[in-house]
Amino acid sequence: MSAQPSDTNRQIVVNDLVKKYHARSVLNHLFITMDKGALCILVGDNGVGKTTLLRILAGLVRPDSGEIAIGNSSSSREPQHRRMIGYLGHHSMLYQDLNAIENLTHYARLYQLTQAEKIVSESIQSVDLKNSQYQMVRTYSRGMQQRLSVARSLLHDPEVLLLDEPYTGLDKQGAQFLDMRLQSLHRQGKTIFLAAHRPHRLLSFASHVAWLKDGAIAEYSPVQDIPGHPDLAAYLQESA
Amino acid sequence: MNPFRDYLSAVWNILRKDLQVEWRGRQGVPVMLVFSLLVVFLFNFALQLSPDLQAGLAAGLLWVSLAFASTLGLNRSVSLEQENKAMDGMLMAPVDRSAIYFGKVLSNFSFTFLVGLVLLPVFSLFYQQNMFKPMLVLVMVLGLGAYTSLGTLLAALSIQTRTRDVLLPVLLYPLALPILIAAVESSRSILAGQPIADYQSWMTFLLAGNILFTAAGLMFFETILEE
Repeated sequence: MSAQPSDTNRQIVVNDLVKKYHARSVLNHLFITMDKGALCILVGDNGVGKTTLLRILAGLVRPDSGEIAIGNSSSSREPQHRRMIGYLGHHSMLYQDLNAIENLTHYARLYQLTQAEKIVSESIQSVDLKNSQYQMVRTYSRGMQQRLSVARSLLHDPEVLLLDEPYTGLDKQGAQFLDMRLQSLHRQGKTIFLAAHRPHRLLSFASHVAWLKDGAIAEYSPVQDIPGHPDLAAYLQESA
Repeated sequence: MNPFRDYLSAVWNILRKDLQVEWRGRQGVPVMLVFSLLVVFLFNFALQLSPDLQAGLAAGLLWVSLAFASTLGLNRSVSLEQENKAMDGMLMAPVDRSAIYFGKVLSNFSFTFLVGLVLLPVFSLFYQQNMFKPMLVLVMVLGLGAYTSLGTLLAALSIQTRTRDVLLPVLLYPLALPILIAAVESSRSILAGQPIADYQSWMTFLLAGNILFTAAGLMFFETILEE
């Protein structure tokens, strides 16, 4: 069975995904399909496999079996697949001995962006780091590094955003900034798949919630239909 | 869009980034250099050999210094990419992942070769040998090329282990031993003023090592880095 999106509106298709680390099964025959423009919160307990799922979608982890498709690309080994994805993981992926401009310029060149200088400058401006753009990343606070990581993941204007606990390390102001940025990206029609341990702040503007439990998607529901899924509603209530 | 030009551009971008980080942090080359110079000084004073014997030892000591220094550089290269998982950022880029391998090989080679160039006059001084010979520089290029091609691949293998500082030399030295022997034999013959025919086979062996390890890097680098 190929994981090609049959419907042109489908952006992420995951079929029968299995991933084991040694003998421990992390993802166990997982299926999920997300439409273009969805903002889906991935919820689940610690260690349930949220990060693994996002890293597989990003092409950083090889699944044991199963298929994934992002847009028209069904192979994470294709550079085209990776061009469509912006990934924000637990780590910043930034070089500590380079400043913000140098870090983003490195990635802009790797993504072969034309007008890299202009894009980098606008990206830094967009995350409000203009005043510290010449400082080494080593001197940044955790929140500043996270904001620069957001800029890095959005640098090439990806169609799909995979965000793993993006609120980690952000103060109240930083979290509000990220809320606004996510809503703006959602309005632009980007597909956003976001893992969050505490999802409540996102429920007001997310379109869907996926509940990862025992290695599979136990529930997948539009936010407005959550009351019709009592187990999911109870889980969200507990995690508040 | 020219795929070959894009590929070379990606390789250059990775090399340029490594040079930039090294220039800013100065945590790689200075450490490699200090370590190599210490080896030269220690052996020179510890062995107290006659000039004839010292000359014979120069080739071996040069490669011991370069091999150890290169391993330090490879460990630094790994830790640079492991800190903040910057390697993931490069793996996410829409470029052929072998370009990352070549970029890292070139940066590791450049740093070690630079250390080698600094070591040559020091060896000339302490071991009373004329080390400024074009063929010796060629042997350094071939020997370090093969050594860093293999080392970069093994560094990628060790990147995800907690014991990478220990694992890399344990894997690298046995596998690189034939390359080091060929480099020492070629260097010794060159310093002794022997004709090229006497050490041509060792040079060919070094060239073959470059081809073999580069091919291995091309084949396995992406697979190794994916979890």
